[in-house]
Amino acid sequence: MNPAVSQESARRTGFALEFDNLGYRYAGARAAALEDVSLSIEPGEFVVLAGASGSGKTSLLRAGCGLIPHFHGGEISGTARVAGRLTTENGPGELSDVVGYVAQDPETQIVSTTVAAELDLPLRFRGDHPAERARAVEEVALALGIPHLLPRTVTTLSGGELQRVALAVALVTRPPLILLDEPTSQLDPVSGDELIWLLRRLNEEWGVAVVLAEHRLERCLAAADRVIAMDAHRIGFDGSPRDFLSWAVAERPELATPSALVFAGAGFEPLPTGVRDARRTLRGAVPITKSSPGSTKPSESGGDRPPKTWVNAPRRVGGDGSESARGLVLNATRLWVELDPGDGAIDVLRGIDLKVRAGEKVALMGRNGAGKSTLLRTAAGLLDPVSGKVEVGAGIALLTQNPSDFLVREKIGDELSGPAGEAALRAVGLDLSPERDPRDLSGGERQRLALAIALAGRMEGEELPGIVCLDEPTRGMDRGLKEHLTELADRLVARGAAVVISTHDVEFAVAFAERVVLLGDGEIVADADMRTVLSGGWYFASEVARVFDRPGLVSIEQGIELLAAESDAGGGS
Amino acid sequence: MKKLSPIAYVPRRETVQTASLAPVTLYLGAYLLVCFFSSDPLVLVTATIGAVIAGYGSGAKRAVNFSLKLGGFLALTMVVVNALVTSRGTTVLARLGDWPILGRVDVTAEAIAAGGVIGLRAMGTMVVIGVWSACVDPDRILQAVHGVARRSALTATLISRLVPLAATDYARIGEAATLRGPAASPVGRGAMAHRLLAGSLDRAVDVAATLELRGYGSSGGSAGFRAAPSRYDRRFWVAGVFLMAVALAELAFGSGRFDAYPEISWEFGLEGPLAAIAFSLGGFVTWRRGRRKGRP
Repeated sequence: MNPAVSQESARRTGFALEFDNLGYRYAGARAAALEDVSLSIEPGEFVVLAGASGSGKTSLLRAGCGLIPHFHGGEISGTARVAGRLTTENGPGELSDVVGYVAQDPETQIVSTTVAAELDLPLRFRGDHPAERARAVEEVALALGIPHLLPRTVTTLSGGELQRVALAVALVTRPPLILLDEPTSQLDPVSGDELIWLLRRLNEEWGVAVVLAEHRLERCLAAADRVIAMDAHRIGFDGSPRDFLSWAVAERPELATPSALVFAGAGFEPLPTGVRDARRTLRGAVPITKSSPGSTKPSESGGDRPPKTWVNAPRRVGGDGSESARGLVLNATRLWVELDPGDGAIDVLRGIDLKVRAGEKVALMGRNGAGKSTLLRTAAGLLDPVSGKVEVGAGIALLTQNPSDFLVREKIGDELSGPAGEAALRAVGLDLSPERDPRDLSGGERQRLALAIALAGRMEGEELPGIVCLDEPTRGMDRGLKEHLTELADRLVARGAAVVISTHDVEFAVAFAERVVLLGDGEIVADADMRTVLSGGWYFASEVARVFDRPGLVSIEQGIELLAAESDAGGGS
Repeated sequence: MKKLSPIAYVPRRETVQTASLAPVTLYLGAYLLVCFFSSDPLVLVTATIGAVIAGYGSGAKRAVNFSLKLGGFLALTMVVVNALVTSRGTTVLARLGDWPILGRVDVTAEAIAAGGVIGLRAMGTMVVIGVWSACVDPDRILQAVHGVARRSALTATLISRLVPLAATDYARIGEAATLRGPAASPVGRGAMAHRLLAGSLDRAVDVAATLELRGYGSSGGSAGFRAAPSRYDRRFWVAGVFLMAVALAELAFGSGRFDAYPEISWEFGLEGPLAAIAFSLGGFVTWRRGRRKGRP
């Protein structure tokens, strides 16, 4: 179908996407994935879809592009229409000219060898003339700033580049609606922010309606016209971003953004939808209303303190904290590592010097391709340095990015048995029946089991190896799961191990780390305590740090204290 | 940074990569056929050598070395397993007494030879698949499949992407296996194969969903895929037809030339060595003169 015709079709029918009492259950599942969902998306709207893991966001998006029910089967009730077409009567192929879909993992959505061929594919399937195809490919590449990638093979692209290509493919047929399922979850803060603003630009300039499912709402709320929050497979909230924040602070604090939690904790209103909004309010451009702090919802601990999820001030655990008192568990000296991604060897690590001591909690950060995973893999002995050396005196356990790669058997008892296996399960806090199938575990439990497999036999009795490393474990996690991960890290550190976690998630790093090592192009560009590193930049800085722009101020608790103190000093606003 | 699977497709301006799909399929198909079905050790060894030469000639040295390593391990395993579980044959080399589960174990020369033939088949087949995977563009396979399976994206994915997906997963799961603690149950070949197949099928389903979303099964017009002709097409057509004829003749008339049981018998006629020469020299079809001249 002609792009102009598909846009016109959406305009004529009134809604880009419309669900009416939609219910859905996956084939063989006992519980429903969607229940009684009714909503409509206007052409040109920018909608953020919020909700905890498993609340129904992905199912909603799949229903919006026809994968449900055509690809996933199952039982469906109610109706779903895209640009006026019923999804039960039109499959994903037929709907491809009116809706684009971008999934979480870019690697499973790229099917061609080169970027140019990938962009050309949907147009070929649609039967477009070669001249039309060439123009469409050129224009979408220019719009997304990727014309230089066109001749590249997809295996040589970084995660950010891959996600940009996936977005370009979804847009190349110029659909009036695009659905995105956590597209920034594997991207560094720079690429993630770029993608969000790219979507906003496409939304404003091309009039594309956007439905964006996200966990890290602080990234995208400022760009949104509307927020829909899924709650237990139903719509829990549907309204403006500011109203959403008020609702979230009162009902679902785990969905609220850090700056909104700071304002709410200090009793300031209106709640900011982003950094710019918060700064304008603090500068006095927007009148502030002072309400009583903590009036939104009683905290778990009672009193005026914010609930547990709000508090993420760092604390030192293990030993007396002095460097000399803690043993060296990782010592990398002038470490050079070379890798061949397929088109010639390149230096991925360039003369790294790094020391980690027992009991430290270190966040390893940096943009995609900076060398984080390579550093961890070299420390674990998977890669040999071309120069320099790395020593892990007291042993190392590494959990790679996909915990499922560690789970190869059908019973937990077959993966881990004997006293060493039981000790490893105890170390990660798992108490599960050995008869259970690892595939039936939740995401967090699978991660713990995989870590136990990595630890088994590397412990002396109940004593952990000197250093435990996790490579990007927070991908696709909601805030609740990240909190469990922080607890796990605390547990390991309390038992004497150093924990090193590579992550793109700045807010998680604030909650977890006491030290941040920032890599850039294979070199360490910053290595200091967490508050110093995460308050001293634009991209690798927490939202609270960007709002207040004061050295060392990164956490929600610090923000609340500062606002409360300034408010008291100024006699309130 | 991602580490590329050794058998992942890498675009190169070599003969196999630039030639059309049909003649290349015929050419490599002849090798696959003879490696998979022949029982003559001489033909199996020379066909494997030919496939190695073909892979080297098309720049797939890494894929060939990886396949040889994996195939060699598999071949050795088959020799050992067959020697232990099969007591057929008259030439007893060692009597190992009674073993749990296996019972009485007599190692015979015939069982070792039979295991060796199966192992050679496995190794040759793996080398041919490695060369195919590293040199034949999955896009072209997908385009070809679209012509015959226009409605099923899953069929298309399984044909064009299963081997690359399995190769990627193999590298990742293999890495995780080396990171397991010494007290965790080791990842045996069986568990690995099971996990690999299940994981690759899962990912194939995801890729098939992507193809559906791209409009693969839609009722739009013909996708208009037309392969660009290559100056190497004729070479591969001629070699492919010739080698396929030799392979079919070998399978039709070569059976029974080598028998392991009840005792090793190997008839040396003219046809075996001729097939061996054809398949070993056939590997040079992928080579071209002055191939790296003037390159940086």
